[in-house]
Amino acid sequence: MTSLVTAGARSRALMTPYAFLLPALVVTAAVILVPVLQTAWMSLHDFVLFRPKDVPFIGFGNFQRMWNDEVFWISLGHSFLWIALVVGFQFLLGLGAALLLNESFWWRGIARSLIIVPWALPSVIIGLMWTWMYDFNVGVINDGLLRLGLISEPVAWLAHPDTAFYAVILALIWQGFPFFAVVVLAGLQTIPAELYEAAEIDGASRFQKLVYVTLPSISEVIATALLLRTIWVANSLDVILVMTGGGPGYATHTLPLYAFLKAYSGMEFGYGAALALVLTALLLVVVFIYVRRVARELSR
Amino acid sequence: MTKDNMTRKKGIGRRRFLQLAGAGALAAPFAGSFPAPAVAQGVTVRWWYHFDNPQHSPAELVAKFEKENPGIKVVAESIPWGGGNDYYTRLFAALVAGNAPDCAMVKLNNQARLVEMGALEPLDDMLKGWNARTDITEDIWQLNRASDGKQYYLPLQYVVLYLYYRPDLFEKAGVAAPHTFDDFLKAAKALTRDGVFGFGMRGGAGGHDHWGPFVLGGGANFRKGGMVSDKALAANRWFVDLGTKEKVFPPSAPTDGFRQIIDGFKAGRTAMTIHHVGSSNEMVEALGDKVSAVPVPRAPDGNGWTSFGDESNAVFAASANKEAAFKWITFLSTAENNVTFNGFTGQLTVTTSGMANWKLHPKRFVEASEQSLAMAGVLPDSPKTADFVRTVWPTNMQRALLGQISPDDMMQAIEKHFHG
Repeated sequence: MTSLVTAGARSRALMTPYAFLLPALVVTAAVILVPVLQTAWMSLHDFVLFRPKDVPFIGFGNFQRMWNDEVFWISLGHSFLWIALVVGFQFLLGLGAALLLNESFWWRGIARSLIIVPWALPSVIIGLMWTWMYDFNVGVINDGLLRLGLISEPVAWLAHPDTAFYAVILALIWQGFPFFAVVVLAGLQTIPAELYEAAEIDGASRFQKLVYVTLPSISEVIATALLLRTIWVANSLDVILVMTGGGPGYATHTLPLYAFLKAYSGMEFGYGAALALVLTALLLVVVFIYVRRVARELSR
Repeated sequence: MTKDNMTRKKGIGRRRFLQLAGAGALAAPFAGSFPAPAVAQGVTVRWWYHFDNPQHSPAELVAKFEKENPGIKVVAESIPWGGGNDYYTRLFAALVAGNAPDCAMVKLNNQARLVEMGALEPLDDMLKGWNARTDITEDIWQLNRASDGKQYYLPLQYVVLYLYYRPDLFEKAGVAAPHTFDDFLKAAKALTRDGVFGFGMRGGAGGHDHWGPFVLGGGANFRKGGMVSDKALAANRWFVDLGTKEKVFPPSAPTDGFRQIIDGFKAGRTAMTIHHVGSSNEMVEALGDKVSAVPVPRAPDGNGWTSFGDESNAVFAASANKEAAFKWITFLSTAENNVTFNGFTGQLTVTTSGMANWKLHPKRFVEASEQSLAMAGVLPDSPKTADFVRTVWPTNMQRALLGQISPDDMMQAIEKHFHG
């Protein structure tokens, strides 16, 4: 009898955490797992939205098509460059801004509030705003450069393949650097002043303090911010869609944008799903590193 | 036994759970959507519409209809247009999910797709009993008829694209408004100087309306082989050369969209562009009598082509209230109701009686539209047309204008898109 009670109590104890987790698991399954499985199912079919009654199973046909699709490779290449440049420059700019905002000056409070503005603006507004700033006819960038004598005639920034991609990247760098600034600033404020005092006593220069005290102290914060931002930037297509729609030609095509265009313009949901899955698989590597870090921090 | 091992023994550990949940949540950039439950409420008609100006509302027409038809309630749902992409993605998704409205505003470039999926209700039988049918000209009925000969679309409004030009700049350059391709080239070259470009070309989405008059008018067509005939290739080379060799397009042309061509023209950066009566009030407000319009130029052989910008209403086959829906859409296409409706959209009425006393646009632009009807055409009634408009044409046009592919490669790509 005693052993039965013990067994019952033990199984209840075993089940209790799962019962608490169940609502979250059900919601996660409904909003994440089911769509992911649906996407995987679609990727194996020739699913065209306007032919809902004719959805043949084609196995890995969509992936085979992708392999031979020039635009897929162009988009993939752009995606890597996109992530590296956007995240890299956002970080450098954000770090610089955070170091400045960590200094004390009388309008520091205002500066810290203002720096959030780009991050707080909706992406579509940012896309439209930069499109008009780059505009060939009435754009403020061309106007400014002409007045400064740096160019002799307006430049069609978004219409030329050599400049369009980098013009969009610049807009996104502007949008995202406040994230790094805020995160790094929060990290900087956790560094004990004693470390700097000790470094000063040892005769460290400003640069040495940055390299040997500041950066090591916030390396964990930086790593987490970099990983998170990589995931977000890799997924983002809103600003490109608004600014260039992927053009001119394929000059600003990235993988998520190409998947989006295939699905929502061509209505080829099967092929679009396959493209999205490849992106997901690539992102899983970054996600895995990120989740491992988070789990490690939690278990400390 | 360590704490970690103990956790593992009990099943999924916290770390593992977080890894799985986090991976799932973060690695799913594209999530599907869940179909909403279907609505069937007797004589309630759900109608989808889109107006460019969100401040306009069809409420006054709905109230009038409901008063005249006490048994029918109309729920008018404004759907974001988003260049057409948003609207049609929602419409197709709703149709697949079984939650489509009873009727909706639709354009011809998606008719073939809707017909192919069996989504549309043929209106032919119901139209036989509609007295106001003859108030819409046969030309407009014909343009809106599907390739299977059935009438799925009930015309609601239309525009015909014409050529805007700046009489003041033309006078200064000593050239006249163009009527032929040769006139057009001569004028565009004469006008291209001092930071002004002859023609504000739209290379972004929707720009096929600028290409069509010169290339479809010049001899290309959408039948098999029609894009790669000698005449078609020559017409396209001539058009691309306007940008790459003659330099009469602004450098921003490859990605310019509606807003850029209109603002460029208003700002005096371009001397000609192509659009329709929908922008005429805005043009006049900015330029007064320094803007006028003529039909798009014709080819040397006298042929011409311009885009018929259509908008109709259709009833969906899955609707439980087809007759009530039909009553509502015929109400919208009837004389004064149609005029009121076009007051919201800025386009032209499809009714002859409404057109007789038209006051919504300056006369010269309405006349240019009417004169253009003779050469107005529509893109092919094919499921591939929508993708041609949204991606195939802009992408290949942009690449050709940038010299990344030849004009002939562009035409090959269009031919391949339609005919494999």
